[in-house]
Amino acid sequence: VTAQRALDVSHLPPWEVSSEQPLWWGQLLLAAIEGSLFCTMLAMYYYIRLSVDVWPPPGIAPPGRLLPAICMALLLASCIGSYLASEAAKKNDRGGMIFGLCLNLGLAFAAMTLRGLDWGTWNFKWTSTAYGSIVWGIIFIHTVDVAADLVFTLVLLVLVVRGRCGPRQRLGVHVDSVVWYFLVAIWIPCYITLSWGTFLVGAPR
Amino acid sequence: MTPLIETPVRQIDEERERHELERVWAHRPGILGWFSVTTHQTIGLRYIVTAFVFLLAGGIEALLMRLQLATPDNTLLSPDRYNQIFTVHGSTMMFLFAVPVMEGIGIYLVPLMLGTRNVAFPRLNAFGYWMYVIGGLFLYCGLFTNTGPDAGWFAYTPLSGPQFSPGKRIDVWAQMITFTEISAMCVAAELIATILKMRAPGMSLNRIPLFCWAMLVQSVMVIFAMPAVMVASNIFLLTDRTIGTHFSNPAEGGDPLLYQHVFWFFGHPEVYIIFIPALGMVSSILETHTRRAIFGYPAMVLSMVATAFIGFGLWVHHMFATGLPQIGEAYFTAASMMIGIASGVQIFCWIATLWTGRIRMTAAMHFVLGFIFIFVLGGMTGIMLAAIPLDLQVHDTFFVVAHFHYVLIGGALFPLFGGFHYWFPKFTGRMIDERVGKIGFWILFTGFNLTFFPMHILGLHGMTRRIYTYPAEMGWGPANSLATAGAVLILTGGILFIGNVLTSRKSGPEAGANPWDAPTLEWAASSPPAHYNFINLPAVTARYPLWTPARNRIVVTGLRDDRREVLVTSITDAQPQFRYVLPDPTIWPFVTAILVTIGLIGSVFQFQWYYPGFVLAAIGLIGWFWPRGPVEIEP
Repeated sequence: VTAQRALDVSHLPPWEVSSEQPLWWGQLLLAAIEGSLFCTMLAMYYYIRLSVDVWPPPGIAPPGRLLPAICMALLLASCIGSYLASEAAKKNDRGGMIFGLCLNLGLAFAAMTLRGLDWGTWNFKWTSTAYGSIVWGIIFIHTVDVAADLVFTLVLLVLVVRGRCGPRQRLGVHVDSVVWYFLVAIWIPCYITLSWGTFLVGAPR
Repeated sequence: MTPLIETPVRQIDEERERHELERVWAHRPGILGWFSVTTHQTIGLRYIVTAFVFLLAGGIEALLMRLQLATPDNTLLSPDRYNQIFTVHGSTMMFLFAVPVMEGIGIYLVPLMLGTRNVAFPRLNAFGYWMYVIGGLFLYCGLFTNTGPDAGWFAYTPLSGPQFSPGKRIDVWAQMITFTEISAMCVAAELIATILKMRAPGMSLNRIPLFCWAMLVQSVMVIFAMPAVMVASNIFLLTDRTIGTHFSNPAEGGDPLLYQHVFWFFGHPEVYIIFIPALGMVSSILETHTRRAIFGYPAMVLSMVATAFIGFGLWVHHMFATGLPQIGEAYFTAASMMIGIASGVQIFCWIATLWTGRIRMTAAMHFVLGFIFIFVLGGMTGIMLAAIPLDLQVHDTFFVVAHFHYVLIGGALFPLFGGFHYWFPKFTGRMIDERVGKIGFWILFTGFNLTFFPMHILGLHGMTRRIYTYPAEMGWGPANSLATAGAVLILTGGILFIGNVLTSRKSGPEAGANPWDAPTLEWAASSPPAHYNFINLPAVTARYPLWTPARNRIVVTGLRDDRREVLVTSITDAQPQFRYVLPDPTIWPFVTAILVTIGLIGSVFQFQWYYPGFVLAAIGLIGWFWPRGPVEIEP
């Protein structure tokens, strides 16, 4: 037994569902990693665009307008679901979490369905010039990221519905919203580039 | 900052707490337990040992190249074999040795220096290690089956593209990059979260040990640089080769130069990713060995941060010979010279520290002084290369080879060896043989200069890099023979080092907790540290906690020791916020790494393997996160 000056921390809460959690920072850093990946790809898009005269290249139909715009709007709206779920997670409101997660998932699935329909109208593949490669590259990676996050949102929903949701799982719901906000936010410059970039930069077609 | 709340004197029953902590933090038994370990020291040591094995492999490759070049018209290696060996040498040293070894030391030391029990995400830590090992084995499986990459460590298109490099060699390289980058990003994320949120109470930003600052800056660089190389290797190169995209095909609107831009946007920061942790090691060694606080702590921190920022604005100086617009080149020349200022500030701070300190000339200190000498020389040739006219003359010659070996071996390997001698007592509990360490230093120092100094002259005489032989008339024979003799000397120094490590580990004198009278918290733990690091977590009241009188030191009480509980503190002032339970060890990170591997290696042969790969990875991650037992639901 030794005598030492001591700082007692037993009164501190044993867990906290908040943005002070290391896991919240971890998710933010994951978003930074993915964010720099998308920024690199957008830089590539404009680099390729500025090195050719005609954009999109001859034979490739210009991007559609309606479906990507609705898809973007639905993605933005789905953040409301994420927000409601994360606020409910902080307050330990199980019904609120279920409602928020369902809203998030429903709108996200609808958005992805529209994206799939939009793909059906494209008359080019990733093998059709560098334009096809970069456009498919950006949208493929974003879709994979979204799909991965939707799987995990679904898993969280299952846990919450089955009642296996202690503070750890509620923290999961809270930080899941960080990833979702990021995936929607990063799609804004991607959407502008893919839908409007053909008109914004370089000589008119 | 606001003062810590009152700290009454408490009676602490260390024996009882030790007993409980031993039980809670024990490794699981058996082979499954071995694959389930999430202790940061064990994983850190695994990183370090694995990285040294790859250093040995990369060293053997270097020696083979030196033997081939020792005499003109030599036929020891065929041109094709030579190409594979220099590519695997460069890739090994950059991706499988230099970055992982720095991360390994960071993983080992950062939680100890911060006064906590583990990194913030122990399972992610384990996952990162397995990804790294698998990536390294994958590259060497390629080399041993005559599928070693052969287009240089940066694999420029169009040489590495589908037209000029058929077969699977480049694909092996591209996916090895993916493995090691995933690993590096896992480590970066967990170290940043640990350094920001899990410091000892009272360790405000201006009290963080310089090595932790270095790891923080390095990790932030990893976060922003590594994604670019994944784009380059995985999206650019691999899809061009496997599914026919046209990123680097000029006939279809692509551009091979774009690959160089994306690669070097990663590749230049990579140098600092390797070098900045080494700066932190030098500062740690100097503080202890001059027995004074480092001169200019804020200047040191700010110049590391400045280096990180400027480091992202230099990449085009690798591309001066590609015919870019002159205005752009002029900017990158200026930026390349500017980074010399940030490095210079640190050199002068170290010199001031040495000047005013009471120096203790241990083996570690020898390596630090050797570092300053060699790194300054490498920095000088760096400034020379930043000038475009000179760069155009010596581009792709041995002058450049000499320059970056002075920077990387001088700037990273010497501090690393110094750090290894310095922290050896902490890693093993025993002192390393100082006399053998010093002899080893002189052999390495002489061998290094003998090998690489003549390369400056060879480069100026026009010997290009990556040639497998040269005719006798060129007159390059003597300098090359000298360089090869130096390489043999380096090997001798390496063997001496390994021998010293192995014997000292068994029979060196016992070190005790703090053999150097060092100031930072890792020396408050026993040597080697217990799995839980500290019986009671420390709180700190000064930048150098172990140089404050013992009666002023404070410990944290009130954490539960019947589970893996640590403390989360605020970012700037490190005020205690709440308690936090780290997860138990599990096999799932290893299983997930194997499942991810199936997708990644399959995709080398066919892109479609990514799809089952995604599904398997998701299964692995769900298994990893699925709550088991009440503690994973209600902490």
